[in-house]
Amino acid sequence: MTTGSGRDSGAARFAYAGLDRVIHEKARLSLLTSLMTHPKGLRFGDLKQLCGLTDGNLNRHLLVLETAKLVRISKEIDHRRMQTSCQITALGRRRYLEYLAVLERVILDAAAATKLQGLTDG
Amino acid sequence: MLELQKALAEINEIRGAIARVNDFRGYGPLSVAVSGLLALGVALAQANWPTFLAPDPTTYFFVWIGVAAVAAMMTSLETFNRTRRVHADLAVPMLQRALEQFAPALFAGVLLAGALAYFAPQALWLLPGLWQILFSLGVFASCPFLPRQMSIVGLWYLGAGLVSIAACSGGAVCSPWAMGVPFGVGQLLVAAILRYGFRQKA
Repeated sequence: MTTGSGRDSGAARFAYAGLDRVIHEKARLSLLTSLMTHPKGLRFGDLKQLCGLTDGNLNRHLLVLETAKLVRISKEIDHRRMQTSCQITALGRRRYLEYLAVLERVILDAAAATKLQGLTDG
Repeated sequence: MLELQKALAEINEIRGAIARVNDFRGYGPLSVAVSGLLALGVALAQANWPTFLAPDPTTYFFVWIGVAAVAAMMTSLETFNRTRRVHADLAVPMLQRALEQFAPALFAGVLLAGALAYFAPQALWLLPGLWQILFSLGVFASCPFLPRQMSIVGLWYLGAGLVSIAACSGGAVCSPWAMGVPFGVGQLLVAAILRYGFRQKA
């Protein structure tokens, strides 16, 4: 898989293009992680609780994710109450996994640099 | 450095958590179907040439252990390649979880065959039925992450195992069909469910 880090491509070695701005935000990363571990979807209230967000923040971040087609929001009537639920899309799933791979690459690069620094210092 | 290692471990933990709750789509219908046809073909051959392929319980079981080894190799290869393709970055934790679900039943089947052959060869007639029952337990364990119709396969193997025990009781050599029909039909059923079941689940 292409990580986007450009590990072997010389000049752009540390570009990390795969660190998607839409995902690379604490609240949205938290929302996507919750949805990845609940593939059947989560209700608005559960998502709010799991991610520690207010109604306004949750709406705002979900809108960003929905616009990027990373999540699907649906409304349904349950026990005579309108329930909003949210599910990750196939694209969202793929982009999230790519993001994790790039994040892993960043940490591995940092670890390698730290090790190198240790060797030159010591 | 420790913090970086902790961060890497956390990423792996996230991958593991995702793998634990998502459907496993690594099993390929092609190799499973071929293993079913192989079982039916070998049963037909054993029924036609019993003096050559099933003259005694030992030969009978060696033939079926060979069939199981070939089927296991085919399905493992397809599962490995398919999982890498379908699950990409999640391939390792997904394969690990699939193994955790199914491998204990297979492992128990191998040990059971060895124990019966070594300590109680007179009870070898029980083996087809016991293998099918163990296989059903492996299928049931894998059910939550496969199409929901897969539980029918579990029931098929469980029922077939009990019928095999009833049908083979007292006989010196089991009928080739006691292995061929349960595994042949069962694997073809698995292949059909893998091919069409996920579409319904999606």
